[in-house]
Amino acid sequence: MLGPAPGVFAWGLVTGIAMVKSGLSVPHALGLSLAAYAGSAQLAALPLILAGAPLWLITVTALVVNLRFVVYSALIREYFRGQSTWRRLWLGYMIGDITLVQFMTRMKRQDPPMQHGVAYYVGSAACNWLAWQISSILGILTAGSIPQRWGLELAGTLALIALVVPLCAQLPALAGVIVAGIVAVLAHGLPLKLGMLAGVIAGISAAMWIESSRASTSGRSGAPS
Amino acid sequence: MSEAYVWGAIAGIVFATILTRSALLVVGLHARLPKAVEAALRYAPACALTAVIVPDLLYQGGELRLALDNYRLLAGLAGIAIFAAFRSTMGTIIGGMIVFWLLALT
Repeated sequence: MLGPAPGVFAWGLVTGIAMVKSGLSVPHALGLSLAAYAGSAQLAALPLILAGAPLWLITVTALVVNLRFVVYSALIREYFRGQSTWRRLWLGYMIGDITLVQFMTRMKRQDPPMQHGVAYYVGSAACNWLAWQISSILGILTAGSIPQRWGLELAGTLALIALVVPLCAQLPALAGVIVAGIVAVLAHGLPLKLGMLAGVIAGISAAMWIESSRASTSGRSGAPS
Repeated sequence: MSEAYVWGAIAGIVFATILTRSALLVVGLHARLPKAVEAALRYAPACALTAVIVPDLLYQGGELRLALDNYRLLAGLAGIAIFAAFRSTMGTIIGGMIVFWLLALT
């Protein structure tokens, strides 16, 4: 259960440092880290906050970056049907990439058995939450003593790059990402940082278009899919 | 950047996090997602992160910089190459930062 903790720790440290080095105050960075507990959404929202983008756009950006959690919660919900509404809310809030993988692997193996699934899940989530928060707070508090010219806010962007590259293994996703990047740059001059949103919409459309056109080509040639 | 604005932004991010993580568990235990929505869900996070990363690397002080003296861009490209080769998040962060330091601090 503690296996992934060093990796989570490094990620949290980088996010903590990057938030403060980008220009967020220490109380703001602490509040964001403790309440949101969402590394990629925190880092993605940073340039928007610093540019003074409208609050709805910041919220939409965080929503879109977090959409993978909708998929995760769809996967775990069958195990939490017996829990009260309030507990399901908290169980959802604790979800993370690592906890999902650990939990789903163990549930498929039925080790621990189903009735102890919630306890296992909470244990895994608590380990990740603690590793993340301790390292984030450490990063936030030490960032001030690191020289600005070291450019450590770049470490946050590099962490996001390491998140995106493995998602681009298939052609539709790769095309979507390329279109999203190009449109976001071309539309960068739009007011309110709306160029970012234009990039997201164009990228998703491109990926879905390629996916559906590939599906129809393979359908016509009669190839099994 | 006023106090109220930043706390408002933090509240927005927290709202977005809780909604995406818990909505299906709280009100959608048996909901079925349409196929098109599922496809969009698959591609949205990568597209959104890219739409943040690329302008962040290409623009400095509101100015597009595509030349070789944009060290952040070069470090980002190095990061992509490092991840593609070694599949390591830590390697990407440390390697990218070393490339940046070699270029910018020497």
